[in-house]
Amino acid sequence: MSSITSFRQSGKRQRQLSKLIRFIIAIFMILFALFPVLWTISASLDSTGSLATQKLIPDNASLDNYRTLLNSTTFPYKTWLWNSLRVATVVTILSVLITTMTAYAFSRFRFSGRESMLKSILLIQVFPATLAMVALFALVQQLGTFIPALGLNTLSGLSFIYLGGAMGINIWLMKGFFDTVPKEIDESAMVDGATHWQIFWRLLFPLVRPVVIVVGLLTFIGVYGDFILARILLKSTPKLTVMVGLYIFQDNQFSQNWGVFTAGAVMAAVPIVILYLLLQDYIAGGLTAGSVKG
Amino acid sequence: MKSKKFYLMLVLVLFGALFLVACGGSDEPEETTTTSETTAEEAVVDTEATAEAEAAMAEEEAMNAEATADAEAAMAEEDAMNAEATADAEAAMAEEEAMAEATEEPMEEDAAATDGPTLTIWADETRAPVLETLAEQFKADYGITLVIEQVAERYEQFNIAAPAGEGPDIMLAAHDRLGGFVESGLVAPIDLGAKVDNFTPESVQGFTYNSELYGMPYATENLAFFYNKDLIDTPPATWDEMVEMGQALMESGDATQVIALTGTTYDIFPLNTGFGGYIFGQDADGNYDPTDVGLDSEGFIASGDFLQGLVADGLISNTTDWDTAHVLFEQGDVPFLMAGPWALNRLRDSGVNYGIATFPTGPNGEVSAPFLGVQGFVVNALSENVLLAQTFLTELVANDDIMQALFDADPRPSAWIPVLEKIDDPDIAAFGEVAPSASLMPSIPAMSAVWGTWDPAIALILQEQETAEAALTNAATQIRDAIAEQ
Amino acid sequence: MTTSVSEQAQTGRSTPTATITGMLLRLILLGVFDIGAVWLITGMFFDGYWPLAAMLAFITIAVNIIFLREGMYPLRWMAVGLSLLLLISVYPIFYTVYLAFTNYSDGYLLTKQQVIDQKEGDVYLPETGQAVAYTAYRSPDGNYVLWLQSENPDSPLNNVLAEPDVDIGESTIEVGDFDENGIPNSVAGYERIPTAGMFVALSELDKILFGGTEQGVQVRGINEASQVQQRFVYDPGTDTITDQQTGIAYAPVNGQFVDEEGNKLPQSGGFIITVGLDNFSRFFGSSAIGGPLFQVIVWNFAFAFLTVLMTFFLGLFTALLFNDLPGKKIIRSLLIVPYTIPSLVTILVWKGMLNEQIGVFSNVLQDIFGSSPPFFTNPTWTRFAILTINLWLGYPYFMLVCSGALQGIPQDIYSAADVDGANAFTKFRKLTLPLLLVAVGPLLVASFTFNFNNFNVIYLFNKGGPPIPGADTPVGYTDILISYVYKLAFGGARGSDYGLASAITIIIFVVVMVITLLQFRYTNMWEAGEDV
Repeated sequence: MSSITSFRQSGKRQRQLSKLIRFIIAIFMILFALFPVLWTISASLDSTGSLATQKLIPDNASLDNYRTLLNSTTFPYKTWLWNSLRVATVVTILSVLITTMTAYAFSRFRFSGRESMLKSILLIQVFPATLAMVALFALVQQLGTFIPALGLNTLSGLSFIYLGGAMGINIWLMKGFFDTVPKEIDESAMVDGATHWQIFWRLLFPLVRPVVIVVGLLTFIGVYGDFILARILLKSTPKLTVMVGLYIFQDNQFSQNWGVFTAGAVMAAVPIVILYLLLQDYIAGGLTAGSVKG
Repeated sequence: MKSKKFYLMLVLVLFGALFLVACGGSDEPEETTTTSETTAEEAVVDTEATAEAEAAMAEEEAMNAEATADAEAAMAEEDAMNAEATADAEAAMAEEEAMAEATEEPMEEDAAATDGPTLTIWADETRAPVLETLAEQFKADYGITLVIEQVAERYEQFNIAAPAGEGPDIMLAAHDRLGGFVESGLVAPIDLGAKVDNFTPESVQGFTYNSELYGMPYATENLAFFYNKDLIDTPPATWDEMVEMGQALMESGDATQVIALTGTTYDIFPLNTGFGGYIFGQDADGNYDPTDVGLDSEGFIASGDFLQGLVADGLISNTTDWDTAHVLFEQGDVPFLMAGPWALNRLRDSGVNYGIATFPTGPNGEVSAPFLGVQGFVVNALSENVLLAQTFLTELVANDDIMQALFDADPRPSAWIPVLEKIDDPDIAAFGEVAPSASLMPSIPAMSAVWGTWDPAIALILQEQETAEAALTNAATQIRDAIAEQ
Repeated sequence: MTTSVSEQAQTGRSTPTATITGMLLRLILLGVFDIGAVWLITGMFFDGYWPLAAMLAFITIAVNIIFLREGMYPLRWMAVGLSLLLLISVYPIFYTVYLAFTNYSDGYLLTKQQVIDQKEGDVYLPETGQAVAYTAYRSPDGNYVLWLQSENPDSPLNNVLAEPDVDIGESTIEVGDFDENGIPNSVAGYERIPTAGMFVALSELDKILFGGTEQGVQVRGINEASQVQQRFVYDPGTDTITDQQTGIAYAPVNGQFVDEEGNKLPQSGGFIITVGLDNFSRFFGSSAIGGPLFQVIVWNFAFAFLTVLMTFFLGLFTALLFNDLPGKKIIRSLLIVPYTIPSLVTILVWKGMLNEQIGVFSNVLQDIFGSSPPFFTNPTWTRFAILTINLWLGYPYFMLVCSGALQGIPQDIYSAADVDGANAFTKFRKLTLPLLLVAVGPLLVASFTFNFNNFNVIYLFNKGGPPIPGADTPVGYTDILISYVYKLAFGGARGSDYGLASAITIIIFVVVMVITLLQFRYTNMWEAGEDV
């Protein structure tokens, strides 16, 4: 009896030790993750602004850069942020929907050309897109002459281009995930007379929800943080997304305005962190808790 | 922002989503009783329909777009911000159909919605606000609508946008990009008429390419020699003297380096020229000759040897960084710095007791010449309003008030003589004293081959990986090859 | 089981009992889509955007086939996704392939037609031509007339009214009182435009010829008009542009209009032409292909491979490790932060922190060890720094992905292992990891290819440096192919050479494609994907 208790105790102690060790690792990881971020924040508090010489607490710390961004009419940060949020939201919803449907078909149907299509989708993503900007500019410009809403300098045109952007990889991620869901589930439903549509929407979609949310979050962050495409397609100040807007501040060769740039970047990061906090339970709620209906 | 377009899009998305749900749902009670075969087929319709709904979305948007684009044009005029955000969403939904029908007429650009022509100007974050403040006045006085766009990497974007007819009418540009633009046929010549005499000759020269003027200058810029007055009484007359002074300070512990270098190309050019180096030879008219590459000239190599010697003696760092160099100078760790007028603001903020002087001369008394850059406006040759853009510049921008405003926003020596003469800022005046010795930065396209080769050559010299001779000879060969390939 | 599902679909497909409403709805929607598409395609075709029109036509036809043929049922699920993919991802690839065969670069950015149009708009003032001062008048319906004044009092252009399409002196419009400068205050039916209003008028005036073809004048500025003539005339028959002023003819050669002696058409850009394999042979013929290229490729592979390996394992590690710690939500949220700030900023912050002279890392290391590593001048240290930064940038991505993927692994697979008494590590290795790799495997490949072309981190940190001594082209120890291409194609004597860059991009594309396919074969990913 006593030996069992002591065994239990040692197990408990072991678990506590492992917790402690992991706690220490966590602290190191957080230091690694956050140190550059703290540096960025300190740069955003410094009105003289130079990225190399930041002290953790700048000598002349002030919120000037934040104030500039929030009050300036020449640099309407709030509008930019709102633009970004809208674009990212719309793109995320649509993209997840389209991606999931496509991935479902790839996972659940067998048809000729399936494998080569899957391969092609991945190979397309391999293309070094550095130069595709010229092509995308032409594409949007030409579309825009007929469908002004999809033209240059419109947020909807930009969203349209984003829709095609990360789709390939996400199709793969979703498809791989559908694959891990046993087909018996569909099958029994099929026997019960469910349509593919019902299987997809009622059965599988809830099952793959964690990955749907991950894909959505990745898409959201990707779209939200992009400036490479957006700066080519957007020009007029009130239409810019937040990253393009901020990008302007570091463009001057000799007078990059790092303070404002970092301030804007820090503020822009907040919505994403909040979003992650909100969605976290779905993504990583209880890996061991067995919350998944298998 | 109340971009109705966006709400429309959102509504459409929601419609699409609802459609999906509705279809999936409605099937359930009805079809569960039927055979699996028909339900499978029913699914065909569902997915097809939804797919269509989305595919058609682009189309629907096309229709709505015309409505929304108009609405937007109107919106651009309103200044009120997102007050009616949520109300709008519903309104947009209700109006959706009505609007789609109501506005089948050809759609007009934002500009056309307001009367009078529009001039679009591409500028950067420092200059855009000045131009912005002028816009209202121009609209009231002359009926011209100015649209100022802050465009990052605008030269690269100009290359892409202008040929597609999407470029600005006017762009703020540095003169060294002129060659590429002219050779591409993207900028229109400009005639300053009698006003040309009000511009400094070197600024006009900067925007002249193949004997034709392609831009209206407004400011010039060049490096000058900064020294810390707390450490140095009189600025050194020669580079060797600079080393002696710096070395003395290092020995007394007042300095960590003799001089902090801010870069490897433009930023050390005065040193190169001080020893007799040059980039391209010049003909009698001052035009640069791309066949005469001077990177491996005796003087250039001598300057490289000089730099390598300083590194070897531990007198300067073997790395260069713009930010770092300024910080070291501001902290008083380094007594000398080569910097431009754009650094004045930060130097003043830092409180360092600086003085600005002409550059020390070389060992044989050569003048150390920095590059001269000219800032100005160029007109897009593919603009719809070339003549208006040119006239706008020559009649409305080329005057004391505007030139003064541009100077105030971005203090670099003005290219407009009346403003230049009025400048009482001693620092800017000091830069002006260096200016006559400066040589115009080459604007010929061959220069782009130089930047990428010059930089690694100097880096290799500073890192003592190669002798100055080897590094610079190799660089010069590479440049000649690249130019010959043309 | 796979077969049974597909059989279901099979039977569904062949069944003739499709509901009428469903069928009708599908046809109507397809019809609407087709009408829109045809309108768009024809419009684009006639506007000269034929490559895009062709792509759209292809998509439209494909969509029609998919939705009309019952056998294509599975593809209906993908129609939207694949259409977007074709339009937004595939079209640019085709476009880049096309560019690779052109001379598109600084100096050759316009089409031939654009150059011709531009030159035909040029004017000159012949020796006999006169420049005069003018005053403009506008009618309520938007027509203009000019009052001309010449410095030469005997000139037919002095004190005369000029109308569009009416010869000088023939104008019958009545002129009102004159002001002190001899300019009419009004003209019948027209109103004099004040100077301030001239800027608005100018955008319309400059397109009008006043006073007939013989002696007509064109507005050249706010108060100057002159008898300019069109300077360059293009003759489509001979395909030459002739300078009316000098009589010299310019013919198109290699994307430039040149005269017989090879002089370029003055003030003119070149135009885009196809140049065959020129860009490819330039690349393969250049010294760039020699020594450093091999070095660049090796480092490129090492960089991409190590990055994926490290980011994946650190991501997985963070996804697993803190699961039952108190405050795990906070911990994870903090760990995701590096992913939420644009890398443009954070790379440069890292660069600042590692700065050899004043960076915080160097200072601390200096204080502890008396020296600090040369993160920018020593190849090994620079590579180490870049990998560290990239690890920092990349692990949150895999942390997210792995969290999601682990969530989906059914818990019951572990129960058998629990009975067997397998320890946690064995369970992880034997059960979790293989299942995880099924879902995440393709992402590893994708991450590899992304990092293979990760220009930003390389270029922002140290521009590919430190430079390799004695190389034939400017190249550094940390350059990867894409940054090397950038240096070659945008640092040449031609400025930005998009044609050459496209050609090299295509070559890299092919190389990476082959590697990706090999990776698939090697890792048996296809088989895994097929069987599950």
